[in-house]
Amino acid sequence: MAGSPNWAPVALHCRSSYSFLRAASQPKELVQRAIELGYQALAITDECSLAGAVKAYVAARNSPLRLIIGSEFQLPELGCLILLVQHHQGYAQLCALITQARRRAEKGSYQLSAQQFLAASSNLSDCLLLWRPASEAAFAEYHELLQQAFPERLWLAYSRHYQANDAEQYRRYVQYHQQSGIPVLAACEVYYHQPERQPLYDVMTAIRCGQAVTEVVEQLLPNQEFCLRSSTELERCYPMAWLAEASQLSQRCQFSMSELSYQYPAELVPAGRSADDYLRELTYAGVTQRFPAGLRSDVQEKLEKELGLIAQLGYAYFFLTIHDLVQFAQQRGILYQGRGSAANSVVCYCLQITAVNPDQIDVLFERFISVERDEPPDIDVDFEHQRREEIIQYIYQKYSRERAALAATVICYRLRSAFRDVGKALGFSEPELAHYMRHIDRRDHQLDWQQQLQQQVPQLVSTSRGRWLLQLTEQLRGMPRHLSQHVGGFVIAATSLTQLVPVENASMPDRTVIQWDKDDIETLKLIKVDVLALGMLSALRKMFELVAQHHQRPLNLASLPSDDPAVYEMLQRGDSIGVFQVESRAQMNMLPRLKPARFYDLVVQIAIVRPGPIQGDMVHPYLRRRAGLEAVTYPSAAVQSVLERTLGVPIFQEQVIKLAMVAAGFSGGEADQLRRAMANWKSSGELRQFEQRLIDGMLARGYSSEFAQRIYQQICGFGEYGFPESHSASFANLAYASAWMKCHYPAVFYCALLNSLPMGFYSAGQLIADANRHHIPVLPADIQSSQWHHQLVPLQQLAIRLGLCIIKGLNGERCRELLAQRPAGGYQQLQQLRQLGWSAAELQQLAAADVLSKLSGHRYQSQWQSMALAHEQLPLFAQVSDSDDDTMLPAPLEYHDIGADYSSTGLSLRRHPLALLREQGVLKGCRTAAELPLLRHQQVVEVAGIVTCRQRPGTASGVTFITLEDETGLVNVVVWLATARQFKQAYLTARLLRVRGILERHGEVIHIIAGRLQDGSAALDQHQLETKRSRDFH
Amino acid sequence: MNAWLYVHAPQLLLDTQLALQTTAQQQQPQILLDGSRVGARQVVQCNQAAAAAGIRLHMAEVTATTLLADVQLRPYQAQQEQRILAQLAQLWYQDIAHIALYPPQGLLFEVASMLRLYGGFEGLLQQLQQRLQEWPIRYVVASGDTPMRARLLAQAGCSLLSNDARTVQQAVAQLPITASGLEPLHITRLQQVGITTIGALQQRHRSALGKRFGRAMTQYLAQLSGELPTPQQYYQPPAQFHQQLDLLAEVASWAQLVFPLRRLLQQLEAFLQVRQLSVRGLLLRVTHRDGQHTEQLIGFAHPVWQLKDMLGLTQLQLERQQLPEPALELALRAQRLEPRQQQHNDLVQASAEVAAPTQPLGELVSRLQARLGERAVQLPQPQRDWRPQQAQQWQLWQATATSAGLMPQLPRPLWLLDPEQPIDPQHWQLQWGPERLASGWWDDTPCQRDYYVALDQQQRQGWIFHSQQGWFVHGWFT
Repeated sequence: MAGSPNWAPVALHCRSSYSFLRAASQPKELVQRAIELGYQALAITDECSLAGAVKAYVAARNSPLRLIIGSEFQLPELGCLILLVQHHQGYAQLCALITQARRRAEKGSYQLSAQQFLAASSNLSDCLLLWRPASEAAFAEYHELLQQAFPERLWLAYSRHYQANDAEQYRRYVQYHQQSGIPVLAACEVYYHQPERQPLYDVMTAIRCGQAVTEVVEQLLPNQEFCLRSSTELERCYPMAWLAEASQLSQRCQFSMSELSYQYPAELVPAGRSADDYLRELTYAGVTQRFPAGLRSDVQEKLEKELGLIAQLGYAYFFLTIHDLVQFAQQRGILYQGRGSAANSVVCYCLQITAVNPDQIDVLFERFISVERDEPPDIDVDFEHQRREEIIQYIYQKYSRERAALAATVICYRLRSAFRDVGKALGFSEPELAHYMRHIDRRDHQLDWQQQLQQQVPQLVSTSRGRWLLQLTEQLRGMPRHLSQHVGGFVIAATSLTQLVPVENASMPDRTVIQWDKDDIETLKLIKVDVLALGMLSALRKMFELVAQHHQRPLNLASLPSDDPAVYEMLQRGDSIGVFQVESRAQMNMLPRLKPARFYDLVVQIAIVRPGPIQGDMVHPYLRRRAGLEAVTYPSAAVQSVLERTLGVPIFQEQVIKLAMVAAGFSGGEADQLRRAMANWKSSGELRQFEQRLIDGMLARGYSSEFAQRIYQQICGFGEYGFPESHSASFANLAYASAWMKCHYPAVFYCALLNSLPMGFYSAGQLIADANRHHIPVLPADIQSSQWHHQLVPLQQLAIRLGLCIIKGLNGERCRELLAQRPAGGYQQLQQLRQLGWSAAELQQLAAADVLSKLSGHRYQSQWQSMALAHEQLPLFAQVSDSDDDTMLPAPLEYHDIGADYSSTGLSLRRHPLALLREQGVLKGCRTAAELPLLRHQQVVEVAGIVTCRQRPGTASGVTFITLEDETGLVNVVVWLATARQFKQAYLTARLLRVRGILERHGEVIHIIAGRLQDGSAALDQHQLETKRSRDFH
Repeated sequence: MNAWLYVHAPQLLLDTQLALQTTAQQQQPQILLDGSRVGARQVVQCNQAAAAAGIRLHMAEVTATTLLADVQLRPYQAQQEQRILAQLAQLWYQDIAHIALYPPQGLLFEVASMLRLYGGFEGLLQQLQQRLQEWPIRYVVASGDTPMRARLLAQAGCSLLSNDARTVQQAVAQLPITASGLEPLHITRLQQVGITTIGALQQRHRSALGKRFGRAMTQYLAQLSGELPTPQQYYQPPAQFHQQLDLLAEVASWAQLVFPLRRLLQQLEAFLQVRQLSVRGLLLRVTHRDGQHTEQLIGFAHPVWQLKDMLGLTQLQLERQQLPEPALELALRAQRLEPRQQQHNDLVQASAEVAAPTQPLGELVSRLQARLGERAVQLPQPQRDWRPQQAQQWQLWQATATSAGLMPQLPRPLWLLDPEQPIDPQHWQLQWGPERLASGWWDDTPCQRDYYVALDQQQRQGWIFHSQQGWFVHGWFT
């Protein structure tokens, strides 16, 4: 029978990498190898999981291979069970079983006992069961029960891998069959696609055991036979009848993932109405609000076109679902904003999903939802970060946990984690591994990490263990480690989600995730609603409330006066601390150069300081053209249509994709692949395949090779950090709103920002310093007048009274309760606070933060007194009268107070430490930040300041930006690699840095190019001056 | 009169490691890292080369290694440092009777009588320093009128040696509160009220402090000033048995030494009895006329403590030995003393496969070793490995206490040929197989073989395999 022409191999028990360290090949590798070997069917059966199913489906579609969906379950009493799906119904049954088993256990594990399995078996009528009994006893005990539960659908799964007990095993299966009549088949257990993966599989076993390979040898498999074997090998290994049995079984499995069709939740549409009708009605209801003057004809035309597209593609439910969420947010007064490819449409504007008037920005809707592309629209909605949970709870309530769950994120091995885990499995010690790892610079674009190690630690590569380390690390990279939850992507289904995909527990209590990630969701055209959190929205809502309260002016995102010149003037000065998206140092430097003067400039401003435009070297050409130093030209009319809005320079991700089409001749499909590759560039490196195609295409159409290279580099940059125009436009809206607040209501602006921390780029101390520079009075926290949050208090002008929330370690809820009971005239003495419920520990925290000094004189005294109010009065000392210690302690010196402020609140309203040191003459010869604008370009200067930030951007090779803070402001220092190396210690560890260097001025932007670094921290230590921590190399 | 001396060796472990290195090695930057506390690993000890590059104590590992990529890192091991501290105490015990250990890095000496002996600190310190010639550690030594004052000064790096109590008291009062040795929380609290030196602390009313910080604080102050004596646990050298005998006349052979040895062993038996100890080895040393020594080591496979056992086994081992020259003096030192209750477990573990009472087996092995030499008695020890060559290893009897786990039951011949012998497969009749072994990629002897059970022409059942090198027989079942 060998070589039977009609027979082709099948493998019915294959674990993929989605069994997490229990198999050593990706689904795609298994599928491709099975196709190469001429398999007729392959079952992907990960352990209690379908997480790899969609990946396998993508690899197998358009091939003759029949992909069977199944799952493996290890039950100690029963043995190994493999369930295979026959039809759609069986698929839903399997999903339900996996969900049950997963939901019963903690994240990452499952619980299924023999009893539970048998109980569930009546709901597995469309699944086939393969069984590998744990023992003869297990067979005796359970075979009749399983036969009853799976009539004609039960097989014994025999596998042979040339092991010592093969013969015994074979006899046993024959005997089982004779005893029970259950047919035996050759299941072909597979843990990796080819024999060369055995070392990786062994290493994974060791990683799971947390030991070195040499310590777990008895748990390793004795040979490499757990791979996909050729038909010849299989025929040699198994009786033909058992192979044929497997082949016949595989014919019964008819289900394909393509049958899954997603149904939108339907309850949002009133009975008797069609979704399209209802969407049209809601949209036009919105028109009257958004366009009170009536629709211009061209906008109306656009709106109709959009509605037509949505109807044609059947996306009305999706828009309705999001509309429903934002309606809820509006009712609750939660600020939100939509973004994403489909967001900048007239429909979304009318449905109040976005606040960006599509009039202001010319983004073509159909570019994002198109008939040809046929993929789900993408809308992310940001909500206030402190209130997003309300939205999530609403979703669960409205659709129930049955129907709504978060998407998963597959956490994969990265270089470092792979290197460490493989290294430990090979018996390297942690310090050794850390030592090698230090020789890898991931920002080195010339040499990959293996080449770097070969060059720098040749002794490692000279040993076989070292070579295995390199090779296996590379193999382990990209292998999934576990499932985690997506930041906010919800999948909502019309009926139970578990008909569609298994659901499991996430690490957060009460959160559930589906077993698929966003790529899987996209593949199967499921709709994902992204419910994200954004700190600036919280801050803006607070700003609107404060403006209403103190200025009696009702405002909201849509009603802010647009294109206010005063706002742009402020931004052009680089005065942007606290302003959304343009507050980073790089953005602050760009503002005076780009000089945004209208909304669309902000859209460009936000997108331009990103890896894409920087790596494509598009920043300077754009700035030159904007400044009128270079003519705005286009290589062709086709390119002009793409780049007109950005002066002929590609800035946005959509533009480079479009360029690939018009300038390099990419088809729509290719452009789409390019877009997907960009999204996965980091993990897969797929972009390289497009390089030649892009460059050839552009050269053939007469573009310069230099331009083509830059476009490719830019594409790679977008791969690192994709940034489309639509996102930028939504962000620009919030950037403008926050800038407008800063410009017109600065006290409101700072107060709301401070109350929304942590968010953004700057600490409370830095925001307060900026408020001071804008002459906003900031009053210290004080037990007699502060609330928990910061407040605005009307003095001659609005001032900010700091709240008790700045005190480290205090509990907010308790404080608010206690403050509610504060006597109208304030507290009379410390004892009274104790009586009114403040605990001894809280009193000490209050005293340490110096908010009690009005009651007791000064910080030391209030702490000394509060210590005596401790609850645990020691009997021995109870009768110690206060007369023993009524002597006042000496008051703290100023620098003690400053230091104590920093250590208990992280900021100080007293003098800046640098002012003190300058007064003492420690900083002779140093210029202040405020003096720098008065100095010449190229002048040699010396400056000193507290290091608040060290940044080494990946885009600027070898240069570090250090920000210094003195009593007058911030100084930007540029440190080149050689200088950093020469003054390594000061460069890395100084808290107070003195820099001698050359002042460089470009317009209003001033940098000091460092020539010498000197660590001045000793001056701080001498006075025990604690300062806030620098943000280093984040 | 300052009767206390405290030695603080802040880099004890690293210095001891450095002392064993060559000068070139010592100049390599080296640091010890402590990962026992929460958070990232920190530098706790560093040599001068590391310090010169800017590495400081309490610096995070990542900062230190960024500063100096090639710095040698080793984990700090508290237990090891504690053992070293005990060795240091042992060394100085020759000079000073009252030494208290303050792990991990301090020793306290009660020196009132010593000062008279050595005529002051100078002489005493010289004597201490002389002992450290082979062991150059960095240390700070300070005197004190109370143990605590001496300790705080030394720990703060202040090497004050003075006969005047007031000088010491003033110096301690000036120490920052961070050097007080109080618990960190109390130090923070005191700093928060501006009490930043030990002197400032002493100025506050003790009852007012007690009210705020509890009894520990008043006790601390009383110990600092000496009002409350600090109980000290003085160092006791470990139990040793070392006795010698003048033989009075020259003795020419080991056999003739048995009688005097018996006396020494009697003393040893008494010594062991009192301490409930047993012994695993004896060192015999005879001194010859010219002052040269001959040493003989006697090992026991199981712990013994009775005279008859010790004498019997020693006799057996001495029978084979010759004395190079006549002896004048005999010394006996007991080696590897162990508490008695331990030995029972050890025996059970050592030979788990022997169901019968284990004592006779231990004795048998002891006797065999005594006759044939220690290396002659070996035990086949199964190893956890799929490769047959690696799966069977011979080990010394003594080393078998740690038995490796077993692989699953595999059909293996009891006796493996070493090396395997090439065969002509034509002459063999395959009975069963293959068992395919592909394992051991991780070391230098990976194995890729198909094993079969097969009959040769004489109908003997053998274990044969096929590899890239051809066909071989590896063992016989019959």
